[in-house]
Amino acid sequence: MEQTLSSELNPIAAPAREQEIDFEALTRAYWPRVFRFALASLRDIDSAQNLTQDCFVRAYRARGRFRGGSSAGTWLMRIAINLIRNHETSNRLKFWRRAFRSSVDVADIGEWAADGGMSPEAAAAIKEQVRAIWNVAAHLPDRQRTVFLLRFVEEMDLLEIAAATGMKEGTVKAHLFRALQAVRARLGVCK
Amino acid sequence: MTERMISRELAGLEQPLSHFRDAMRRWSEHAQAAQQQAEGMRGFLYDGGRRATRAGVSSLLIHAAAFATVLSLTQSVEVTHELKSLAPTFVVYAPKPHTDSGGGGGGGAREPLPASRGNLPKATSRIYTPPRVTPVEAQLIMPPSITTENVMPNVSGPYGDPFSTALVPSNGPGSGGGIGTGRNGGVGQGDGPGAGPGSNGLGGGITGVFRPGGGVTLPVLVRQVEPEYSEEARKAKWQGEVLLSVVVDERGRVRDIRVLRSAGLGLDERAIEAVRQWLFKPGTLRGQPVPVEATVAVNFRLL
Repeated sequence: MEQTLSSELNPIAAPAREQEIDFEALTRAYWPRVFRFALASLRDIDSAQNLTQDCFVRAYRARGRFRGGSSAGTWLMRIAINLIRNHETSNRLKFWRRAFRSSVDVADIGEWAADGGMSPEAAAAIKEQVRAIWNVAAHLPDRQRTVFLLRFVEEMDLLEIAAATGMKEGTVKAHLFRALQAVRARLGVCK
Repeated sequence: MTERMISRELAGLEQPLSHFRDAMRRWSEHAQAAQQQAEGMRGFLYDGGRRATRAGVSSLLIHAAAFATVLSLTQSVEVTHELKSLAPTFVVYAPKPHTDSGGGGGGGAREPLPASRGNLPKATSRIYTPPRVTPVEAQLIMPPSITTENVMPNVSGPYGDPFSTALVPSNGPGSGGGIGTGRNGGVGQGDGPGAGPGSNGLGGGITGVFRPGGGVTLPVLVRQVEPEYSEEARKAKWQGEVLLSVVVDERGRVRDIRVLRSAGLGLDERAIEAVRQWLFKPGTLRGQPVPVEATVAVNFRLL
């Protein structure tokens, strides 16, 4: 009885307002991260931007349902992963849209590799390695690629990846293992 | 599938993967910035094919400002460029000498005669019984003392002002107990519990650490270790100057480091860490190396 009374007495507006303030901070903190993941997955700046926008809109609508069962970052990543999956399935049908992709945006990731303070040879080698990994990532199956990017670009640990992708930890490990095998084969690094 | 299998598969790939991660981060940050700009432009360029009007131009400017704001809000404090700290400049200079060092003293018992000559009482950290020439009956039995930092010879009575010429036993015209013309206990003309002409001093004027000037030379830096930038300060692109007070001992080593002015964000600790490893040619007094107090300014600048 006491509980009912107290919950009735509490104005509903107060926690909602608090949530909105949280959400603003959340957006500020995680936007670059979600965008980066979307960009790495979709390899297209425009689509990544749209998807990030979608992700936060969805998160905002569903913010009431977020109960803090996982970290906010994991929760947003989960939304982003789902959106990317949807985007890819629908994009397979929309073949005509590919023509509209701005070819200017097809950037060479190698250009963004660090080359400060090293010899041109070393810098070129690193560029080559980065490009090779980027190409391997492009040809990985969806789930392997997702796990691979979450682990090595977003630096999430296995449990977080499992929570974000909804896979079991063992499954995550298996995908990661295969992805690494592919990278190793492409780079030709001996064990 | 075990973690060991994964880490075996990972062996040798850590380096390329971290380069890949860095490249991805840089690209994403750049793309985001470019996208924000492009979106501002598009609203302007595809404005129904109309020519750019003044309204269009101002709209573009407002959009650009808005996007810049959004951009600055959405970007985290991650460092986008390699930041290097310049070699810290440092200055060792002599702090201002105490004008009120030494000193202390004073006291008396409102007697008409000047304080009589005698030995200084034993120096202790706290006065329980103010010294008197003509002893009064003590309630608490404690040897009379004055306070001082330096070691002074232990003497016994008769107590008095060593600089006085009067020989008739008197506590002097001062007030507050003690001997002499001053107040607040102690011996001599000053105020305070020590001995001598100053005020509030701890007596003597000679302490273990010298200040440059008056025959004391400044220590000369022999080995300098450059401080590292702290991670937090680097991320926040924070610059500043840490002012440290140090004592360079007889062997040229740095001790008793105090922060006079803090720069914050962990830079103080880095400065202390580096300065502690510095080596000096010690300052001297009459050719003898002595511990000398000096001030060191460590400047943190980002390239």
